[in-house]
Amino acid sequence: MLVAAVAAIRPRGHGFDQPVDADVLARVRAFFPFLPAPLRRAFPIGLRLLQAAPLVALRRPQRFTSLSTDDARHVLERMNELGGPFGALVLGLRTLVFLAFYQHPDVLRRMEIDWAGRAGELVRRRAELIVS
Amino acid sequence: MSAQPPEYRLAYPHVIDGATLEVPHRLTADAVVVGSGAGGAVAAARLRDAGLDVLLVEEGTLERTETFTTDPASMIQRLYRDAGTSMILGRRHPIIFAEGRCVGGSTVINGGMAWRPPARVLDNWEQGLGLDGTSARAMEPYFDAAEAILHTEPNHEDTYGGNTHLFLKGASAMGWPVARAPRNMRRCVGLNNCALGCPTGAKQSMLVTEIPRALASGAALLTHARVDHVTWNGSAARGVTGRLLAADGRPRGRFHVDADLVVLAAGARHTPGILKRSRVWSRQVGRGLHTHPNAKCVGIFDQRFDPWVGTHQAFHIHHFLDDGILIGYAAVPPGLLAAAIPGLGAQNAEKMALYNHMLTAATLVDDETEGRVLLGPDLQPFMWQTLDGRDIERIHRGVALTAELLFAAGAREVLLPFSDLHAIRNPGEIRLIHERRRDRGVIELMTVHIMGTARMARDASQGATDVSGAVFDTTGLVIADASAIPTSLGVNPQETIVALTLRNVDRWLERRGRTRPALRRRDTATPEAMHAGS
Repeated sequence: MLVAAVAAIRPRGHGFDQPVDADVLARVRAFFPFLPAPLRRAFPIGLRLLQAAPLVALRRPQRFTSLSTDDARHVLERMNELGGPFGALVLGLRTLVFLAFYQHPDVLRRMEIDWAGRAGELVRRRAELIVS
Repeated sequence: MSAQPPEYRLAYPHVIDGATLEVPHRLTADAVVVGSGAGGAVAAARLRDAGLDVLLVEEGTLERTETFTTDPASMIQRLYRDAGTSMILGRRHPIIFAEGRCVGGSTVINGGMAWRPPARVLDNWEQGLGLDGTSARAMEPYFDAAEAILHTEPNHEDTYGGNTHLFLKGASAMGWPVARAPRNMRRCVGLNNCALGCPTGAKQSMLVTEIPRALASGAALLTHARVDHVTWNGSAARGVTGRLLAADGRPRGRFHVDADLVVLAAGARHTPGILKRSRVWSRQVGRGLHTHPNAKCVGIFDQRFDPWVGTHQAFHIHHFLDDGILIGYAAVPPGLLAAAIPGLGAQNAEKMALYNHMLTAATLVDDETEGRVLLGPDLQPFMWQTLDGRDIERIHRGVALTAELLFAAGAREVLLPFSDLHAIRNPGEIRLIHERRRDRGVIELMTVHIMGTARMARDASQGATDVSGAVFDTTGLVIADASAIPTSLGVNPQETIVALTLRNVDRWLERRGRTRPALRRRDTATPEAMHAGS
């Protein structure tokens, strides 16, 4: 379920076609233990219920995991528009996937962002400035 | 070995790790301080200066400066409560809320702003609310001392990046004066990682100032310890009890602290939560919540300027402060900014491909609606605030002004925080913000400034605490965090929390017949001095 959701949400095109889905999935999973207990409990339940969402969003008795990526994205967009608990679920998933994706080293490299490298330089620079 | 910032060499003696302590465990002190943020750390250090045996209790972990990185996911997990997923609920527009859960509390993850509130706010506390000794004039020595502790200084010009220059260009084109932001830092070099912990050590958070100073002078710090409630002897506080947490945050056994003075500084959400669980029955506990919500606008420019290079918030616009509107800017890491950019898949990617052309600005509004902190079925506090029409109007005006500034700076498109109006493409479309139906869609709001939930008042019918932050109808129980702030401030609250705490600790000491230590002067406790003395 999570694999299908990540595939639907992850950015594509415009230079963002890096094959990093497995890393993104691992980073999203790594986040779960840090969520507050009610969210930790609600998340897997919400994901299971999302399996039936195509019936609401596409009027098709199909499981979410059997949809094409485009259809799955359409279902998530529809659930997001509906708001309520499913809207919140999509919002939460979207936040975690984007955080894992756009901060992936390969993606940062493509975006020509080297925040970590700059940190190393500036730690040294400040130390020198303070001493002088 | 290359040179290291002095904050990397700080000593943290007398730290008791609650994750490994034998359970159950009982400790004693003259004063127990719950929470190690701006209020708790300052209260602990000052009480220790006055000769009290002080135990500081913190739910989070001691995360040292030299371990901080620029990776948002891991730093959010280490430094933020609930991994940054807290929410202020309301009937229409939920507000995302973030606070620190680590030694140093939210001072480790804030933007490092150190503003005094406008004089009219403080004068209203004294003249309008009857809180003696809180006028701008009376508070002056405490704000001076707060600025010494926070090491307040403006950014050096060599830290300005493209985002700062564009923000200044927009303000200048609009004819709006800018205020150079006083920040709690010591020679910031503009890494722009404030919200994830400052790896350079420049931000003078409580982690690198009052906490090591208090520990060096003999205070103790218990980490991984979550306080459930205050313990009593009649109406006199006699300590606290709670649970020690394992390294993964799960409860592992009880602890008790016996102390004649209990200082609650767990923040404006958890302090009223502890009071409610401690059966402090005042109707005022948890009322008066103000959230100072902010709404983001993202300007997209033709030219690339790499917003992640250079400091953030070197300037604010206070031109509209009397109307309750503040405008600032920040560089948000791509993984976090993407959540505020519309769409999934290719739609989101199309905009994010322009990340190096984006200036993120925000309007912060002085909210008039009072919210509440309530206890949920799990006895954990949650927040509720339904912003009323006045505040919604103010947010729209703030967003419109911010969009004007971005267009004036040269933006070709401005992304908006409305679910039903994602973007505008020229200044003529700003009217769409004013015309937007207020009963449709959702406004994306967030805050890091909550306050007022155990506010100081002249009497118990108006607030939970007296003019010194002591909880009404109790003895030995005092508040030292943003909960005690009586009204919305309109500016970042960090310096006010420090100044109010310094002022209130003096009153607690007087009641106990203790001598007040002299207020701090500038530069008497740099990290180098603390290191040399440890």
